Order: sequence, then C-alpha cells, then structure tokens
Amino acid sequence: MQQFDNQEILMKLKSSKQFWDIKKKLKQGLGDQQKIGVNDIQKLAQSCEIEDQLIKLISHILKKSKKRETLKEDQIEFLNTSKIKWTELLFKNLDIVHQKTKNQEEDDTNTDSKLYIYDEKNLLAFLQTFKQQQQSNALYQNVQFQSNKLLNINIPLKSSQSILDKYQYLLLQEELQDDKINKIRKQIENEHLDIELEKIAQTFVPNGERCLLYLKYFEFDHQETVLQQNFAKLQKECLNQLFYDELLEIDGHEISEDTFYFVFQEQILTCLKCFIRDRTIKENIRIQLQNGVKKEHAEFQLPVTGFFPFKNISKYVAPLCYLSTKIHIIYALFKEFFCRYFCFLHAISSENNSILSLCMQIEEIVSTRSPKLFHHLKVIGCDTLKLIIHQLVYCFIGDMDPPHILTIYDQIIGHDSLEILVILCVGFLNKYKPKLLLAKNQENVQQIFSELREDRFQELVQFAYKQ
Amino acid sequence: MQNKKLKWKSDFEKSVIIENFVNRGWIKSQDKEEDSSDWNVYWATVWNVRNIFNPKSGFRLNDQQIINHFPNHYELTRKDCMVKNLKRFKREQDKETYEQQGWNFDFLPTTYVFPGEYSLFVEEFHRCPNQTWIVKPAARSQGKGIFLLRKIQQLKKIAGTTVTNNMTQLNLASKENYVVSKYIDNPLLIGGKKFDLRMYVLVTNYKPLKVWIYNKGFGRFCNEQYTTDVAEIENMFVHLTNVAIQQYSDKYSQKHGGKYSIDALKFYVESAYGTEAFQKMMDDIHSIMLTSLKSVQAVIQNDKHCFEMYGYDILLDANLKPWLIEINASPSLTTTTPVDKNLKLNLINDVYNIVLPNDDFPDNEQKQQQITKVGGFSVLYDESLDLMNRKAQKRQSVKIWK
Repeated sequence: MQQFDNQEILMKLKSSKQFWDIKKKLKQGLGDQQKIGVNDIQKLAQSCEIEDQLIKLISHILKKSKKRETLKEDQIEFLNTSKIKWTELLFKNLDIVHQKTKNQEEDDTNTDSKLYIYDEKNLLAFLQTFKQQQQSNALYQNVQFQSNKLLNINIPLKSSQSILDKYQYLLLQEELQDDKINKIRKQIENEHLDIELEKIAQTFVPNGERCLLYLKYFEFDHQETVLQQNFAKLQKECLNQLFYDELLEIDGHEISEDTFYFVFQEQILTCLKCFIRDRTIKENIRIQLQNGVKKEHAEFQLPVTGFFPFKNISKYVAPLCYLSTKIHIIYALFKEFFCRYFCFLHAISSENNSILSLCMQIEEIVSTRSPKLFHHLKVIGCDTLKLIIHQLVYCFIGDMDPPHILTIYDQIIGHDSLEILVILCVGFLNKYKPKLLLAKNQENVQQIFSELREDRFQELVQFAYKQ
Repeated sequence: MQNKKLKWKSDFEKSVIIENFVNRGWIKSQDKEEDSSDWNVYWATVWNVRNIFNPKSGFRLNDQQIINHFPNHYELTRKDCMVKNLKRFKREQDKETYEQQGWNFDFLPTTYVFPGEYSLFVEEFHRCPNQTWIVKPAARSQGKGIFLLRKIQQLKKIAGTTVTNNMTQLNLASKENYVVSKYIDNPLLIGGKKFDLRMYVLVTNYKPLKVWIYNKGFGRFCNEQYTTDVAEIENMFVHLTNVAIQQYSDKYSQKHGGKYSIDALKFYVESAYGTEAFQKMMDDIHSIMLTSLKSVQAVIQNDKHCFEMYGYDILLDANLKPWLIEINASPSLTTTTPVDKNLKLNLINDVYNIVLPNDDFPDNEQKQQQITKVGGFSVLYDESLDLMNRKAQKRQSVKIWK
C-alpha cells in the first residue's frame, strides 16, 4: 500500500484548488498582523471552520493515496473453495455454450437462446448449495439452521434494522424548490471532496448535474483526454474478434427490445467489447469474481478482466448512456461503477455488499416483517429470493424507468454501498403483497409480474417501511 | 358524470377511437349513409369534413354536434400552405413587434413551393452547391414520394422529363405541388441514429386562440446509423423517420416500433446537455407551435363545432435547435406497440374530456374557462386571457383617468 510522507501530502495539497482558497481565507483573516505565530493561525482556523476543511482535504488525499486493493481471499474459507468450484462450473458452461454456438452455425433452425455462461438464477442456485455444505460441516453442528430460509449461512451480517434505519431519511424527502435545486447545482460545481459529493448524492442530484457529480466523484473531471485515449486504444483492440464478442452481441438483443434503451444498443455493445479487453480492470476491481485457470486445453481462458461476461451484463451499461453523448465518458463511468459496486453482485463473498449478504438481509427482513407473505410464497413453491433475484442482481434496470435507476445509482455512490437494493427489494415485495397472497401457484405469480407495471424509486422506499 | 348516450361516428376503424367512445357509454350511429347527420360526435377524415362544410352540401351542424377538424385546416397542414402562411405572417409582423412578442421564425428550413417558386429555388441551389435538398409532395403522408436531391437532374422524377441546370420553369408530371427544403444534414443523433419528434397539440378555438399541449409523445427512430455519405443518400432507412417506411427495415422491432418516449428523450437531453439547454429546447418547441398556429389564425374558419388534434413533427439538430418539419391534421392512430396503444388511448380520452367535459357541449364562453390541465394536456396558450388582461387594464386606465 502506497503511503505519503508529509512532503508528499503538502505537494498534493498544493495541487488542490481548495488548499489555495483556504490559504487565501487565512491571509484575509490574519490581515496585516506583523508577527504571526502558530497559535494565531490555529485560533483563526478553528474559529472559521478552516481547520475542519483542512482535515477533510488531508483525509481525502490520504484516502485517494491508498491503492485500491482487490479482495481475493474471503475471511470464510469455504467461500474461497466455493469460488473455485464456481469458476470450474463456469468453465464447463463456457464449453457448453461454445458447442451450442458451433451447432447453431451448422444448423440455422436450432435457435437455442440460452447462449450465456451464467445468469442470476444459476448464481442463486449455486449459493443455495452452501447451506447443505455448512450443515454437513462439523464446525457448524451447533449452529441453528432455519430450514425455511433459502440461504441461512453463517457469515457475519449487519443487522437488518441498521440498514432500515440508515435509509429511513428517504421517507422524509420532499420535492425541492427551485432555489434549493440551484444551490445544489452550485455545490456540485464547486465541490471536490468525495465525502461532500456523497452527501449530495444521498439527498438529491439534479438531472443536469448528475454526470458532473459522478465524474468528480471518480476523479475523472479533468481527465477527459486520458479517458478518450484509453478508450480509443481499446476500440482498436476490438478489431480482433473474441469468442466473447458473440455472447455480448446475443446479450444485447434484450436491450435492443427495451423501449428506454434500444437507441443505445450499438454504444452498449461497443462499451462491453472494450470492457472485456481492458487489462486495468483486474487491478481496479474491488473484489475478485472468479478464481481459476482452465487447465485442459487453452482454447478459452478467462478474459483479461479476470471474470466471464454473464447474461444481462448489457443492463449495467444502459442507464449510463443517458448521462453523456461521449462514449468514452459512458465507458469510464460504467467501468468505475462495475469495479466499485456491481462486481459484488457477482462475487462469492461474505462482504457486506456481496450478493450473498444482500440476499440474506432481504430474507431476514421479509421473514420477520412480512412472515405471512414469506410463508405463503414458500408454500406455493415460489421462494422470496427467487422472486426478487433478477431485480436485485440487475438493480431494477428494466423494471424502473431510467430516472429512477439513476436515483438508485446516486444512493449507491451516496453510501458507497449496494444496501439500497435491499430496501427496494423489500419495498417491491410489499407493494405486490396483496396480489401475491392471492396467488395459488407459480403461474399466478408470473402473471402478476407480466402485466404492465410501473415501479418507482420513492414508491418502493415507502412500501419498504410499511408494515 | 359521463352518462349521456351520445351518438358517435368514425371514419377510422381504430381501436383507440372506438374503445374510447364505447367506454363512455356512447352509441354508434346506426345510419349507414356516409353523409348522414345522425351523430353527436364524429371522428372524420379531412375529406368528409370538407364535404360537410361545403356550402353546396346544405349541411348545417347543430349545437349537439362536434367534429375533429376545422373546415380549412389545410392552411396549416398542407406543407405548401403552411410555408405560404408562415412566410406571409412573418412579412406582416413588424420586426420590432415580433421580437418583443418572442416570435421566432427561424425554425423553418429554407423552402420553395414547386412549381411556382422553381426559379427562386434554382438560384439558391446554385448559390449552395454542397447543399442537400429534400423534396416532398405537398399533400401526401407517410413519407410517400419523398426523396433527397443533390443534382437538379434528379427532378426528372417529378417532372417526368429531363431537367437541366439552365431551366427556369418546371412543369410537373402530376397536378400536385411539391415543397423543396434545405435538408437538415446535422440532425441530433442518439446512438448514432436520426430521429424526429411527434408531439400532439389540441386547438379548441382559433378566435381567440386556445392551445393545449400533450405531455406524451415519442421520437421516431431510423433503424440505420446516420451518415451523410452520398452513397447512402437514397437509403430511406437512414434518412426518413416515418414508421411507415422504417417498418420495412430488417432491424425493425415489433416490441418498440422504433418509438422512443418523449419523457426518455427529455431526460436524455437534460442529463447529457444540462438543464438550461433542455429548457431552451422546450421553449423553442413551444414557440414553434404557437407561431405556426398564430400564422393561420386569421385564415382558419373558426367554428364552435370544431376542434383539431395536430401531430407536430419536429426535428432537432445537433445544436438542439428544433425545426418544424410538418403539421399533421390526422396524426396516425394506428398502434404498433402496447406502450403506443396506451399513449393514444389516453390521448383521445383526454381530448374528449376537454372538448366534451362531462359529455356537455360547451358554448364559446364555457370553452374559455380557466382550467389549465386535463389529463396529459396542459394549456400552452390561451389568448382569451390576454384579451381579458387587456380589457382589465383598459378598465383600470379608464378608472384612473376618471
């Protein structure tokens, strides 16, 4: 881990506009004083909050100085071995998919659409196998397993009440007047510290300033040329076809049918083709998704990203296409969102943001706050998690309109966390609870969700807190 | 409460019209005659409206009848008439006045009507050698007969004979007029594709003018990536956004029909270009609607039995400047997707909630009532408010004088 000494911190401070603004304020405050001691500066700094600003600026620099480390090993050993097994399974799937594409080339009438390496159902099914493993493990013999939950695995879990409390402020959010919105606009233009940008993202982000906020938060705001050059290099590499390109093209078909995203179909595909060729992802991603190298023959290895593309990967890019007309900006934002956040939705891990933790939080909240619904779904063979897994893994993209999806992205940045998805999934289930309680079987349940519906961010938050 | 058994008639077998009428408990007129008058509500073709209002027909609408076109709507909705009226309106306005009023005429591409203005066109054509032009029949729809022009010789298509650079007159093979406009070759692209906007405007009165704008509409996208490559100039899948044309593309999707909601477009423009740019774009679009309607206010035969729902076709260029392409008197009510059906069903429903509130036939005074929002429609302009304000100001100034 890189660490700065005092001299380096000072250099970094001097390269920040805020430092010079603070210095100017101090100078103005001290006026024409002839003898200025350290105590004078300290007194002044404390009285007009300059000290706080300086502390924040230094901690921001220190935070940024830490090289992002990719989590490879989980604290729970069986999850590490599970990751290896998952990777092996995916390699097998890859072989099957490759064979299917060969068959399709030979036989046009065979249009098997399951040409993907894994989807959210496969992932959930794999996570389900942990329960059996744990139950047979001597280490966990004294642990009470609740058989009614799909995933009740012994991993450290945040209390669901703390998650509910954390997001309760959203219930009080009112529509803002123009003057307040203008104030927030100015804040975004002037602010650089991630902690302040997070605060803004938690409360309200005006549509016209969202892209700027995201770029500032990821420190891309003065790096457009670099982003453009990097993207151009990746685009050149796309001239060499990879087998995964075909899978990405097939994946794009669903987006091409979506009324909100069909216009961006080509941009999305271009971004993804560049993504799977981007060598910097492996070192930037917060968590390792797969672990293993195919041994038997070298035809297909993991892409240079270190993980396989999966079904509906296109969905993660789509909402970001609304933020900019420049594809290199869209790409940079997608890459950052994936490496920081969405990767956890595909990681076998006990981390707070991981799919495993999020699923268990949802089960915990629904089983305790809506036990009738939880039980009823079990009885009709339609598990809570199986019902909600698609919305969870793909952040409601395709279920909500783009403005609501980007509000979700705001909250993800705002709290540096995916926990907002827990709230929304609970809200989603509560919203449809009356109809779900009348459903007699899986077909009835599918019927409920196949009807034209409109789910909104604020609405689902309200439902999440309804008892 | 809508419980009056009004009789309806429709020249269009469109579910969005019929379902609306049936849902209101209205009864279909059983009179089989085309020129029957046994109806209260008639959704008519423009030709039947023309016949009804033709003095020779001897037909007079009664107080319990309402129809969906003004007698001479074509002043606005025929391309050649629209151009003529806008040019006349611009000439009539004192420059200072219209700038003060906020009228802006810079939304119509340079256009000439053939055959009358052919020589003027030739002059301009030679002045701008790299300009592409778009040729359209004045009174047709669905993209029929439209083509892009780079060489004068291409006019053979409509002249029926060879056309040369030095000809100053053009005799058209058919009787119809054509409009020839400078082609906007830098349209705003989304995802690399050209699109135009279809927006709905309802006029319930021309004198005084009352205009409602609908909050839903859609962008109609081309299926092919846009290019100015001369080799693709005849590729209508690149240049013409009409659904009637795009539906024949291999890439056409039944699911979305190439229609992108106006809400999504507004969100895109605001997010990608900023709130100020978005607001200016919307203000410019509203200005186009008002200016165009104002330009025909003096010539349209106002009639209390009439209202008209127009389909405005607007093209945005790469600078977010909107351009008026045309105004449709009979915007398509065919539905190509479930979303489309929902939009048009609600659209017609809201139209009748405005023109026949509670199934009542409002008189002129009632038409001016100060409701500003009904369903998805909001009042864009109500001239009667201006008149009221002026009367109030006059009374006030008289009071002061007294």
